[in-house]
Amino acid sequence: MSRSTAEAVPALDERIRGEPLVAGGETLASVTETVCAIVEKPRPPRAWYVAFGISAMLAGLLFAMIGYLLIEGTGVWGINVPVGWGFDITNFVFWVGIGHAGTLISAILFLFRQKWRTSINRFAEAMTIFAVLCAGLFPAIHVGRAWVEYWMFPIPNNLSMWPNFRSPLLWDVFAVSTYMIVSLLFWYMGMIPDLATLRDRARTRIRRFFYGLFSLGWRGSNRQWHRYERAYLLLAALATPLVLSVHSVVSFDFAVSQVPGWHTTIFPPYFVAGAIFGGFAMVLLLIVPSREWFGLKNLITMRHLENMTKIVLATGSMVGYAYLIEIFIAWYSGNSLERFTFMNRALGPYAWAFWTMVSCNVILPQLFWFKRFRRSIPAILLVAIGVNIGMWFERYVIIVTSLSRDFLPSSWGHFTPTWVDLCTLLGSFGLFFTLFLLFLRFLPIVAIAEVKSVMPEAKLDRDVHHGQGDYHGDIPRQHERQFGGPETNR
Amino acid sequence: MNERGGYWRSLGELAGTPAFRLKLEREFAEGAVDAPGAFTRRRFLQLMGASVALAGFSGCRWPKEKIVPYAHRPEGWVPGEALRFATSGELRGCARGLLATSVDGRPIKIDGNENDPIGRGASSAIDQASVLDLYDPDRTRTPIWREGRSERSVVWGDFLAWTEDLVRDLRATRGARLAFLSEPTGSECVARLRRRLAAELPEALWFEYDPLSMDHAREGLRIAFGKPLRAHLDLASAAIVFSLDADLLDDDPAALLHARELAAARRIEEGRTNRLYVVESVPCTTGAKADHRLSLPPRAIAPFALAVLHELVFAHELEAPDRLREILRAREASDPPARAFAKALAEDLAANRGRSAIAAGYRQPPAAHAAAHLMNDLLGNIGRTVAYTADPDPERPNHFDAIRSLAKELEAGRVETLVVLGGNPAYDAPADLGFADLLARVPHAVHLSSHRNETSLLAEWQIPRAHFLESWDLSRAHDGTLLARQPLIEPLYGGRTDAELLAVFLDGRAAASGHDLAREAFGAFVSGEADFEKSWRRLLHDGVLGGSARPKVDVSFQAGPTADSLEQISHIKDHAGENGLEAVFLRDASVHDGRFANNAWLQETPDPMTKLTWDNAALVGPSTARALGVETEDVVRLSINGRAIEIAAYVLPGVAAGTIALPLGYGRTRAGRVGNGDGFDVYPLRASGAPYFAFGAAIERTGRRYPLAATEEHHLIDPRATRERERRVGSLVREVEADEYLRNPAKAMHAEEVHHPPLVSLFPPHSYDGHRWGMAIDLDACTGCNACVVACQAENNIPVVGKKQVRNQREMHWIRIDRSFRGDPDSPEIVHQPVACVHCENAPCEQVCPVAATVHTSEGLNAMVYNRCIGTRYCSNNCPYKVRRFNFFNYRKNLEPVEKMAMNPEVTVRSRGVMEKCTFCVQRIEAARIVAKNENRPLRDGEIVPACAASCPARAIVFGDLNDPESRVAKLHGEARAYGMLAELNVRPRTAYLARVRNRNERLAKREKEGHEPIHG
Amino acid sequence: MPSARRGVRAASGEGADPMDKEPASVRPVFPKSINFFRPVIGIALAAVPLYIVMLVYYGNSAEATRVGYEPDQPVAFSHALHAGRLGIDCRYCHTTVESASHAAIPPTETCMNCHANIRAASAKILPVRESHATGMPIEWVRVHDLPDFVYFDHSAHVRRGVGCISCHGRVDKMETVRQEKPLTMGWCLDCHRAPEAHLRPPELATKMDWVPNEDPFVLGKRLRDENHVNPSTDCTTCHR
Repeated sequence: MSRSTAEAVPALDERIRGEPLVAGGETLASVTETVCAIVEKPRPPRAWYVAFGISAMLAGLLFAMIGYLLIEGTGVWGINVPVGWGFDITNFVFWVGIGHAGTLISAILFLFRQKWRTSINRFAEAMTIFAVLCAGLFPAIHVGRAWVEYWMFPIPNNLSMWPNFRSPLLWDVFAVSTYMIVSLLFWYMGMIPDLATLRDRARTRIRRFFYGLFSLGWRGSNRQWHRYERAYLLLAALATPLVLSVHSVVSFDFAVSQVPGWHTTIFPPYFVAGAIFGGFAMVLLLIVPSREWFGLKNLITMRHLENMTKIVLATGSMVGYAYLIEIFIAWYSGNSLERFTFMNRALGPYAWAFWTMVSCNVILPQLFWFKRFRRSIPAILLVAIGVNIGMWFERYVIIVTSLSRDFLPSSWGHFTPTWVDLCTLLGSFGLFFTLFLLFLRFLPIVAIAEVKSVMPEAKLDRDVHHGQGDYHGDIPRQHERQFGGPETNR
Repeated sequence: MNERGGYWRSLGELAGTPAFRLKLEREFAEGAVDAPGAFTRRRFLQLMGASVALAGFSGCRWPKEKIVPYAHRPEGWVPGEALRFATSGELRGCARGLLATSVDGRPIKIDGNENDPIGRGASSAIDQASVLDLYDPDRTRTPIWREGRSERSVVWGDFLAWTEDLVRDLRATRGARLAFLSEPTGSECVARLRRRLAAELPEALWFEYDPLSMDHAREGLRIAFGKPLRAHLDLASAAIVFSLDADLLDDDPAALLHARELAAARRIEEGRTNRLYVVESVPCTTGAKADHRLSLPPRAIAPFALAVLHELVFAHELEAPDRLREILRAREASDPPARAFAKALAEDLAANRGRSAIAAGYRQPPAAHAAAHLMNDLLGNIGRTVAYTADPDPERPNHFDAIRSLAKELEAGRVETLVVLGGNPAYDAPADLGFADLLARVPHAVHLSSHRNETSLLAEWQIPRAHFLESWDLSRAHDGTLLARQPLIEPLYGGRTDAELLAVFLDGRAAASGHDLAREAFGAFVSGEADFEKSWRRLLHDGVLGGSARPKVDVSFQAGPTADSLEQISHIKDHAGENGLEAVFLRDASVHDGRFANNAWLQETPDPMTKLTWDNAALVGPSTARALGVETEDVVRLSINGRAIEIAAYVLPGVAAGTIALPLGYGRTRAGRVGNGDGFDVYPLRASGAPYFAFGAAIERTGRRYPLAATEEHHLIDPRATRERERRVGSLVREVEADEYLRNPAKAMHAEEVHHPPLVSLFPPHSYDGHRWGMAIDLDACTGCNACVVACQAENNIPVVGKKQVRNQREMHWIRIDRSFRGDPDSPEIVHQPVACVHCENAPCEQVCPVAATVHTSEGLNAMVYNRCIGTRYCSNNCPYKVRRFNFFNYRKNLEPVEKMAMNPEVTVRSRGVMEKCTFCVQRIEAARIVAKNENRPLRDGEIVPACAASCPARAIVFGDLNDPESRVAKLHGEARAYGMLAELNVRPRTAYLARVRNRNERLAKREKEGHEPIHG
Repeated sequence: MPSARRGVRAASGEGADPMDKEPASVRPVFPKSINFFRPVIGIALAAVPLYIVMLVYYGNSAEATRVGYEPDQPVAFSHALHAGRLGIDCRYCHTTVESASHAAIPPTETCMNCHANIRAASAKILPVRESHATGMPIEWVRVHDLPDFVYFDHSAHVRRGVGCISCHGRVDKMETVRQEKPLTMGWCLDCHRAPEAHLRPPELATKMDWVPNEDPFVLGKRLRDENHVNPSTDCTTCHR
């Protein structure tokens, strides 16, 4: 009987689990090897250098632009009255959006016991951190007098003045910073066991020192694992509402104001869906080349990619639905101003932006209805890039078209970006990729321990009551010991 | 070292002590001779370190400020308090009584003088901006003497020295070969000196020239009544006003009075209405105010006058001499709309005999003016709504003849010394005279000019001209009232007035000062030495000599000459001629004839019609533009019999078909840093024969484009947006038909109502136990003259941003005047609507500011606290009126010290990155409040007047306390015509607009109602 | 033990480094140098919040608000002598204090009214005599210096019975004038919110040594009603 069950295993796998999450006969040891090797190699692939060079240059450009901005004033941008926000806030919302996939994958998918997340969550979380970093930059520099920004924070002062708690912009500050902190903790905590592994494998003193420093003395003892997984669970639970809250709050910047095209209740869900959509596209965009360069094809398999494409398709359709509803409500509400705003978006001077948005965000992802495309690297890259462009334009359309033609025709206007606007946008990508490439080079880019936990060798996947990674009680699986289980069968 | 913050005094001195310096010296000395000992070096470094560290520290200390009191404080002087003096400015030979506000010796603000017969306390945009001219850094700072190519800055004494022999010779030759070229002036001092001139130097020639001369009107009067006169309209008592291409409300010496009286006569609540007919070729503020407006090409306007006369004489049996009847018999207007217009108009006029006023514009030929006066005569208006006074200088030849004959004199070389008092003939004289070349040939030319302009360059001498705020003078208003001009500040650059310079040519070194000249001149107006001082003081106090207006003269109509002149018109074809386009030369609302080209405030003031800033452009009507294939911003080559220029085109609705309008005064090359190279110089197309109209203009496209900076339609608008504008404007700028309104006010207003869901607010309402400030703006009074815009700029230290920024929609004006067109683009109806912050009850801006930099005060002001603002611009995004203005750059970085003298110390100067907007002139509110409190009395209604309201000629803007039911503003808010713009958003604006009233003649088709179905919000 | 964990340790065990034979569990997890870093890190973590607290504190400290600022003046004029011992009323020199926003610094003439005869020869007043003779003003150093965007009106306060000392302290005891009060916005607001403590009969506003002969708060309340003192805390009251 034991034999028969033993044989039944792969069949069961095939039926229930679909193709394995780790391919190419990787063993526990080889997983460690593959992932750590990336960090331990004396030098990364040439592609990395090229990419890093370019992004570092762009990042430099960003800081040059910020310097210029702070010296000259926000006039160096194309903004004006009526269009008081241009690229600055567009970039902000765009990057915050990108920052969503990470926590979603690591927290929500974790709670939903989606095992396939293990190979990609580290990526996604890292991406989140860097994206939110870029995002945070823009509200900070978009103000006219950056040097008195601290007035935004409730610090006791001799003016006896407090910030205005009615302002969505203030809520933003809190929402985003909270999100940043939690994501950072989550990311770092998840990394601790792997950092320890790197520490133990480290050859040079420096590596041993730093990895030692950051692995906080992880030894992998039961108690540590116990605490670790409790904490992980807690953080996941804590992060989950944040995923929804951050972008909802960001959307309040618009929904709470009364500009036609902004003033609508659908924004929070619509923004969150859009954020996840864009975030996943970005994950795909990052993961596909990385798995090429660093030979992670076995850990990050087609199945992972395919799952993500499915999410992209789903969220993409939600976004599409939101577009339709917006337009429908604008018509149905009978509010002539709203009506005009949407007509103007689709047919006015910014029609090009609107249609770019629609084709990139709604039409392009429809490719993923077909398995062929879901599994074709070029198609995935194409859509991923398309969606990122589309999502940027979504924010551009919402912000600029609504502002440029609001209530009084006499003050209607037009926004034209300046070279500074464009360089700043480029630069923010530079910063993002620079940080991400550094991450690829110096940190475990795949959650080694977690991946192992979903490998057959881990023999955790058998027990349907247990998701991976989570842990119950000090003496695991005693019931198996008592009533016989795979372990005793050996 | 001691300049540093005293806090670190002791250490600072340590670093600054002689001992320290000694050490320094010894250090270097030692270092020079032998290896420095370790001790000295360390000590030296320590001390240096100390001083450097302190330098760093002192950086974050307060700057050390000095208080510099007078050694001998003038009597009654209070530091930092504003003083107001009566004085007067002058334009086109007519003085305007002004009230200048001065703080610590700096005049910073100009307002109208209540006693001024024309302004009656109001002022024009140009009056308001004149204070900036005083502080213009480009003003010439010394007399300049030119010899060949080399120019030398000299002193006044050198000039006097130069004049010595000259004056002697002139005495000998009785002024032979001496000529003066003056601008028109009402100065009594100059008049006196001229009389002396005529007596003592009879050979000397005197010419007077004004590029925007109004002498056609003068000629018309000479024809009609046999002698040159000045006409005065009494719009207050006129039921029907008919303007033949006359911009009565803006481009007229009595414009302020007209605007006020027209508005006063239209208060429909008091049952008063009047009807304004305007026939014109280029839309102007008067056309915008018209109840009925007809676009006709210039050449068709005089004939139209005949058409109206025809109707009056034949349809309405006004008795006229037979010869006139003959001329008028076949003079019906040829094209149908014009005929309908003429018939309806004639009917109205006939029905209101003695209660109508008819005027022709100064661009129109004398005959047109004669026709207008003929109508006034036939309708019995003379003595009722139209009055005449004697011309101040009857013998004077017309300006264009004068300049022509001066040119002849110069050509013949009969002038040795030419004295040009002000003006800029080298730039603005008719092109056919080639005046610049002639001027260059004059042996000795003296130019009195505030700037080194095109003319001064060619003169041997340039004498800096005093600004009126630096001068003594007596000058006459349009109606002849005597006004005082007294200086508020020592001439900054030793400027001289016309009179002072003139005196030099009579008395040389012995010439009297402006002050003495003024007192002499005043002597003629008071009887006896006894009360001279008293009345002189009184004059300086009031600024006006009561009862000194010129007496009205009775006139008798000269049928003969009038008939002759009408004969001439009757040959003109009134339909667009075959000989190409017809050009009209316009005075520009900002730079006038070009003299204000270097005034940044005026340059940035949007034109009332085109909304253009910093440029002029060739204005063409939509249909003409289509025919020519010309679009706004196209550069076209415009040629009129031989002479050609290149100029950007601007398509302006309402310009008559086949007409191209050319505003004068731009394309200056020597105006100064502000005015140089703005716009296009159209003077080269202007001939002395046809100064205002030119036939046979030809246009060809160059294919190039020129960026124009307009504050509306910043960019070309697509058809959908244009339709949307049309649809919205009805509810934003509301209008009622007079008759409907009189029948049922509420119903009449409802036509424009916006249907909206019930208005509920998330936040509890504010409660106001004290004051509740509010404003009311009467759209039926507003003429869109821009006075408020510039007044606000002057009062509130609003920066000038320049063309590039305006083009990028970053203009800073706190109050703007929205101009919208309705109906047929070729003859649209035009409305103006001033828009400033309306201080919403539920202000969207207040709610979104993260740092509470814009908040509601206990008196309902929507306060903007600059020093708290961090510049997120969220408030501006959320403001439905888009009245908030942002300092995208530090717009004051490049101001010269002298320019900063124009700043109002009562208003914070905003830094870069800060939002700003209309404050209801809160500084005036607080000042008045403190005065009232110190006097232990409540604030009186009308005690607080914001700058915009103070300047408004039509009294369209009223400010006050809404909690006081007796206040004017509260009453206006209560009127049926009052409405809140965008009130459907539940922002509850504090500014109520009073709907514009259109008092139509039912004979003329009503405005088609398209775009007026109720809007849902 | 679930093997995932064993896996981790296994991985670390077979760390491809042939040199280390000993099992991972025994090898010290941290390099020794960490022992030195621990306190450093500890201090750093403690220092950051401390720094913030200190910053906030410093912002309100007397030094930052320049309380005690006492610059040298071009003339050794002693308020202690004139206002104090001689008991000259503030308004004798600061004439406009009741009528205007500025309490004007007196012109040299005012000094000379007396010093033309009194101590005319004293070297101390040499600069004053110079100024009077040449007409060149004396350049006093400003002590009470509000930011330019603050509009303070003396008349509005003095006429309501806010005593000079409320903002300027006992000037009659100062040899050279010193800033006594912080003059911060919070400090202004304290009084604008509850003026009672600073009110006195208006005619006594300039009296330096005045002390109420009843409970100051009772008096303050009464005066507040009598003189309709209702100070506004709107931003526009001081910022325009």
